[in-house]
Formats: sequence, structure tokens, C-alpha cells
Amino acid sequence: MTSADKPTMIEFKDVHKYYGDYHALRGINGKIRAGEFFSLLGPSGCGKTTLLRTIAGFEDISSGAVLIDGKSMANVPANVRPTNMVFQSYAIFPHMSVAENVGFGLRRDPRSKAEKAKAVEEALEMVGLKGYGARAAHALSGGQRQRVALARALILKPKVLLLDEPLSALDKKMREHMQVELIKLQRQVGITFILVTHDQEEALVMSDRIAVMFEGEIAQLADPETLYRRPNSKKVADFIGTMNFIPCEIVSEAGEHVTVDAKGLGRVDLDIGQAPPARGEAPVVGLRPETLTLLYPGQTATERATEGVIDEVIYFGDMTYYDVYLGGTDVEVRLSMRNVPGRPVLDVGTKVQVAWSPSALVLFR
Amino acid sequence: MAQSSSSEAKAGWLLVSPPAIYAVLLLAAPLATVLVYSVLTGEKGAVSLPFTLENYQELFTKPIYRVLMGRSLMISFLVTLATVLLAYPIAYYVSFYVKPSKKALWLFLITIPFWTSYIIRVSLWRTILGYDGIVDSVVMGLGLSDTQLNILSNGVASIIITLAHAYAPFAVLPIFVSLEKVDRSLLEAGQDLGESRWMTFLRVTLPLSLPGVIAAVLIVFIPTVGDYVTPELIGGGKTPMIANLMETQMLKQRDQAMGSAIAVAAMTIVAVISLIFVLLNRRFLGARK
Amino acid sequence: MKRGFGLKSYALLYLLFLYAPILILPLFAFNAGTVVSFPLKGFTTQWFGEMWADQNLRQALGRSLIIAFSTATISTILGIFAARASVRYRFPGKGPVFGLILLPMVLPDIVVAMALLVVLLSLGVTLSIGTIIMGHVLLCMPFAVAILTSAFQSLDKSLEEAALDLGETPWSTFRLIILPLVMPGIIASFLICFTISIDEFVVANFLGSGKPVLSVYIFGQFRFPAKVPAMLALGTILVAFSVCLLAIAEYFRRRGIAKTGGKDSGGFL
Repeated sequence: MTSADKPTMIEFKDVHKYYGDYHALRGINGKIRAGEFFSLLGPSGCGKTTLLRTIAGFEDISSGAVLIDGKSMANVPANVRPTNMVFQSYAIFPHMSVAENVGFGLRRDPRSKAEKAKAVEEALEMVGLKGYGARAAHALSGGQRQRVALARALILKPKVLLLDEPLSALDKKMREHMQVELIKLQRQVGITFILVTHDQEEALVMSDRIAVMFEGEIAQLADPETLYRRPNSKKVADFIGTMNFIPCEIVSEAGEHVTVDAKGLGRVDLDIGQAPPARGEAPVVGLRPETLTLLYPGQTATERATEGVIDEVIYFGDMTYYDVYLGGTDVEVRLSMRNVPGRPVLDVGTKVQVAWSPSALVLFR
Repeated sequence: MAQSSSSEAKAGWLLVSPPAIYAVLLLAAPLATVLVYSVLTGEKGAVSLPFTLENYQELFTKPIYRVLMGRSLMISFLVTLATVLLAYPIAYYVSFYVKPSKKALWLFLITIPFWTSYIIRVSLWRTILGYDGIVDSVVMGLGLSDTQLNILSNGVASIIITLAHAYAPFAVLPIFVSLEKVDRSLLEAGQDLGESRWMTFLRVTLPLSLPGVIAAVLIVFIPTVGDYVTPELIGGGKTPMIANLMETQMLKQRDQAMGSAIAVAAMTIVAVISLIFVLLNRRFLGARK
Repeated sequence: MKRGFGLKSYALLYLLFLYAPILILPLFAFNAGTVVSFPLKGFTTQWFGEMWADQNLRQALGRSLIIAFSTATISTILGIFAARASVRYRFPGKGPVFGLILLPMVLPDIVVAMALLVVLLSLGVTLSIGTIIMGHVLLCMPFAVAILTSAFQSLDKSLEEAALDLGETPWSTFRLIILPLVMPGIIASFLICFTISIDEFVVANFLGSGKPVLSVYIFGQFRFPAKVPAMLALGTILVAFSVCLLAIAEYFRRRGIAKTGGKDSGGFL
């Protein structure tokens, strides 16, 4: 799924947006590549929807530039931009049939009526709504509306498809189903998809690359794996998945190596790649729950192990989460164990050995 | 659709300008004129300088004006009181006892009379209440009375009946809306906590519906103060109210300055009383929060 | 269910009170007696014939229809401007502007009529049907704005954005998306302004020339007992007409709700 060699489709150059005194976008820079599935991820109010709407042309920017396919979009109104959007509310025209909705953008298309009807039918087939054309739009279910919105946007063969929280109105099962469908659809049509979401899991599942946004700025722009394993700040680490933060002291730093003394874990040598640029915060090391393993009798650690006491057990069916005090300290970490046969769920108070690998650590300072 | 705030303001003003210009030219300007006229001296259809407060002085000291304004306000108060008191049980009934599917029908039934000609409705009360009219013929036909009651001859009473009838739907709707907003689980909670049905009504439902009652009071009071038709048709001109006085001064006495002063005074009285009710409402709600 | 029985009886009595004059209308419109009083004297359609033959009445009706049609059209168009501005745009001075536009709702009609009259007379404008329309638009515009604002408000903003996004210009978006979706509101606004204008008396009386409109004519006729039965006949027709108009307005309101897939949340207004 690597797309690093693909040309740039969208470029932000120091984009600022003010609403009166409110600074909604604070210097956005970045490039989105052609044909990639890109996500804007962040909590509500972080500016991700605003940024998406600057691409569509629904918001103008206070300063900076938005380029689509190398062309500046300054003074280019929404109706002539090579982008189409799937709205959070889907914005299905309630007074039209499904086919009229899907074919809405073809009004100025010089093709014959029959050709247009064929295009509509093909678009409906693509989103799995073959034969629904004559239905009234307001009689559709949430999932069907979303498909109509997709077909309506894709029929115009835009260079970029913009999706504003398209799955947030669906229930969990339907959402997971549509995530997979959207990925398949994106591969099928091959155009750039830009998704706005506040759901980190959704972003990780669907995207080639993700921009994590906080308070009008992009905090990190990377592929899902890098974001998950090498977040560049405590804030990003905390927003994406769960991470244990353990206070530490920096013992030495020379060249490619940083040595820290983490409470409960002891001295650890880290590669400089595990230590994103310093921000002047109190140093902590971060560890994902699944990088910690409980050792059952007869097992030994391949790298490092630390003693601990189980403080809390949270049973999830396929998984069990344990909160464990490390090495007689007040440092508590959460770890997750897959519930496989022959691996009993342990009780609170059990003394355990926790295995971990120094390479899974990230240092925030 | 992309707009920075200054171009949004421009577009907004551009769009609102046709109705706004209309309102400025045909409403704001005339009202301002009336305001200026009210502090001039009027004579034979013309007004002249200098500025003077004589009109207002006369309005508040001359018994003829004071009596008429007092009676006029009194009638409006009584009409409002009667209308709201009569309307509350209906609103309560429709909100709490009528099935949701039939509520729209009830509201429709209550509003239909409002949409039929005001002049005809008011005029009909003349024939209903008048000498040997329908009330008299029914009462005498049933042997309840030997002589004609001729309610119409009592100007105040017949004006109150007519106006209370004319403004009834206006009072029902806002009260109904506020009752609909009352969370039904609050009432169950009230009874669950050992209150009787009646006490629950007094301590929960009634206070929560007060905004609707206040709205009803204003909606009835404001137009009745300025009602022209009813005193003219029902009172037969013998029980004039503020609107009729205004007309007399403006058109019959041709004293536009005095007429203007009455108009300003009427608007001020209505505004002050409305403000008192709005503040009462806010204060009351504020105290409950 | 015994609960609410007392209330229900009261409600029925109340409805009887509300409808008393309207029930009396047809009863005496078809009554052979000249005096509006019990007992009834027998069936006749004489009053309808008398009303129909009344040349002055027809002329008054004609004037009223011209005024009501013009008023409803102008008020609704101005209302569309105001409602659109109110729902979609923020601008300084918005509050005071809308305060002024909606002011006639709380202003006694007589004040509006007199203020306009004073200015028109001082400008030397001759009173006519046109001056009545001026006043009626002032009175009707607040209702048009209120109805249309709620119609525009129920419109999802992203529908407009979607149309723009799909290549339509702001104007074609208005024509293809906004106008059809607010059409029920436009029709309701027109019908209500029309009804208010037909019914209005004070402005029509003071801002009109010597030639009366319908409401002014009725007002005058009720002073002559001999003319009352014919007026009752006219009233019967007007009531039937209003009920029909209301039913049509209600039909469009419901269709508007069904069209946009919403839920019916109550009655008219």
C-alpha cells in the first residue's frame, strides 16, 4: 500500500483560518498524494472539518494557499473544484428519487439522456444499490443514504473525494462493514480519498496516511503504523490507542543512544529513533499494553522482565486486561493478554513476571 | 458559499435590504413622525412649532382622557384575565388527556374560528347579545326572564365577551406549547414523592407552564388595548377605547399632535406593561434555576 | 377512564362557545325571518340571492381580492429575502433590523394605520387601493417572515453545499434545491397573508379612499338591521372559504413534512 512515490494531489502551504478572533487553523502545511486514502484525525473542534471544507471550497482561508493538483484554489468556487464531498448528514435531496440524486451533478453534462441513465445505473451498482434508482430518497435507511451520497459524488469522477465523518451516523456493525467497503471502493476507483474522523480506530483501519490534528495544527502526519508505534508526542500517543506512561530520568545521551532510568523498569538503552524531538516536558517512557506480556509458569523472557503484582483484572472475552504494579513501585501499567486455551485468567494480587522489550519503548521529554 | 465575516455581513445586508428598506420607509419613518408630532401643537389638520409637552400634560390631567384610558386598560385586563383563565384548562386537557395522534386535530378545531372573518365574528355578537337578539330570544323562550336582558346595552360587558371570544385561540396555543414541554416523568416523580395529583399540578405543572401563560397574557393584552373594531361595533361608539380616541383626535378633531400623543402614550403603556410581564417571567424562572 | 371527564366536558363547552357565532351564521343565513332571533321562521335562500345581486358588495370584494393578492405576493417575496438573511447570514445590526420588521406584530393596528396616514397625508399622497396594500404588507410581513424563517431553518445547510459541490451555481442551487424544499412554506405564507389582508379592517378603513373593501363594507352593513341576513349569507360563504383555504394550507404543510421525511410535530402554526 505504499504510495510514497506518487505525485502530490493536495498541498497546504501555511494555511490559516480565523473566525473573528478564533484561530481555527494555525499554519497547516502538508501534502496529500494522488490516489491515497488520507485521514484527518482529531478530537472535535481541532479544525479537521474546517480543513476539509477549505479543500471543497466551502470555507475560504485567511492566509496561505491550498493547491489541488498543482493549481491554487484561491478564488475558485466550490462548484468548479475537482473535488466532491460526502457530507456527514449525507445531504440527500429529499424531494428527488435515488436516481435523480445520483445523477444530479450530470445536469450540465453534454451526454445523452440514455448515457446519463446508464452512468447513474453503473454508479448505483458500484455502491451496491443496483435497481434502487426509482426509490424516493427519504425512504432509505442510513446505510443506503450513505451509498447514494457516495455514488452521487463518484459519478462526477472527481480527482479527490472528501468524506466528512461519513460513518458516524451508523451503528457499530454497519460502520465496520462500511469501513471495509470504502477501502475496496477506493482501490477500485483509485482516486484520492480524504476522510475526516474523530475515531482513531477507523483512521488506523482505513488510511494509507493520517494527519493527527489538535487545536488547529497538525501534530503528526504519518502512516498508521508509525503513528501507533512511534508517536511523536505524548498527546498523539494518548489519542491513538492506549499507552502506559512511566516516569523516567535521562541518564545519558550520546550520538544514536539515549539511556534512561524508568521507574519500575530500571535502566534501558534506547535508539535515538525511539526518542522524538524534545518538547521540554517531564520525561516519560511510553509502552503499549500489548507490548507487555505476563509470563506463565515455565515461560522465560526473551529480552527483559520485571516483577509485578496484579491490581485489577478486566475480562473482555477474547482479551483480558491486567493492571499491574511494577517492581514494588506505585507505577501501574495496563497490559493485554489474548485469552488462548491453557492460559488461565489470573486473580487480583497474584505476583507475576512481566516481559517487555526495550525496542517497544518511546521516550517523550 | 465561502465567506469571510465581512463579505458575509455584506451579503446578509444586501439580502435583508428590501424588507428592511420597506420597514424603515413605511414603519420607522411614520413612527418617528408621530413621535415628533406628539410634541408639537396641532390645529385643523396641521402641526406647528414650538416643541411642547402640552399634549401629554392634557392627556394625563384632563378627566375625559384619564377616564377613557383607565377604562380602556381595565377592559383589556379583564379580557386578558378571562381569556387566559378560560384557555388554561383547554390547553391542559389537550396536552395531558388527548391522545398524541388527535392533538393536531384539537388544535386545528380551536384555531379554525380565528381564521374566519374578524368583522363578521364581532358583528355576530351584536345580533347575539342585542335587544331581542339570540340570547334574549333563548332566555325568554325558556321562560328564564320576562324582559329582554339586552346585554349589548352594557358596553363594557359586551366588549369583554366579544374580545374574550375573539382572542381565545391566541391564549390556548402558547399555554399548550409550554405544557407540552413539561417532562412527564417530573409529574410521576412528584406523585412518587407522595404529592397528590392536585399538589403536583400546583408545585410542578403550573410553574413550568408559566412562560406559556405569560406569552398568552401578552398575546391577548397587546392587541386588545389597540382594538378599534369591537368598541365601535359592539359598544356602538358609546364605550370608546384608546384606538377610537386616537381616531377621533386624528380625523374628527383634526388634531394630529394630540392624536400622535395618544398613539405614543398607548405604545408606551403597552411596552411598559409587556416589559413588566417579561421581567416577572424571567425573574421567576431565574429564581427556580 | 373517569379521569379527565370534567375537563373533557369543559373542553366541549369551550368549543361550543368558540363555534357559537359560526354555527349561528348558516342557521340564520337560511332563515326566512328578517330579525335574527329565535324561533326560526323557515328555510330560504333569499339572502344569498340578495347578497349576490348587491353590486356594491361585488365591487368591494373585487377590491379586496386585488389587495389581498398583491399583499400576499409582496409580503411573501419580502419575507423570503428576510428569512434567508435571518437563517444563513450573521451581520451587525441584525437584531434591530428584524426587530423593526417584526414590530407590527406587537403594535396595535390603529397605530400603524394612523402613523402611515399622517405621513401619507403630509406628503399629499391620494388614498387608494395602493395605500391599503402598503399598510397590509407592513402588517403581513412579520407573519411571512416567521413562517418562512421556520421553513428555511428546517433546511439542512449541507443540501445547498452538496448542490454547489456537484457543480451548480448559487443561483441554480437556489432554484433546484432551496426553492422546491421551502415551497410549502411559501404557499403557507401566501395563504396566511391573503387571509389576513382580506380580513383586515383598520388599515383598509383609514388608508382607503371612499370606495370600501369587503371588510369595511361588511362593517357598514351590520349597522342596518335589514341588511344583516344578507351579511350572514356572505359570512357563511366566507367561513366555508376560509376552512377550505386552511385545509389546503394544512395539506401543503403535511406534504412538506412528508417530502423531507420529517415527523409531524403538531398542528397548524
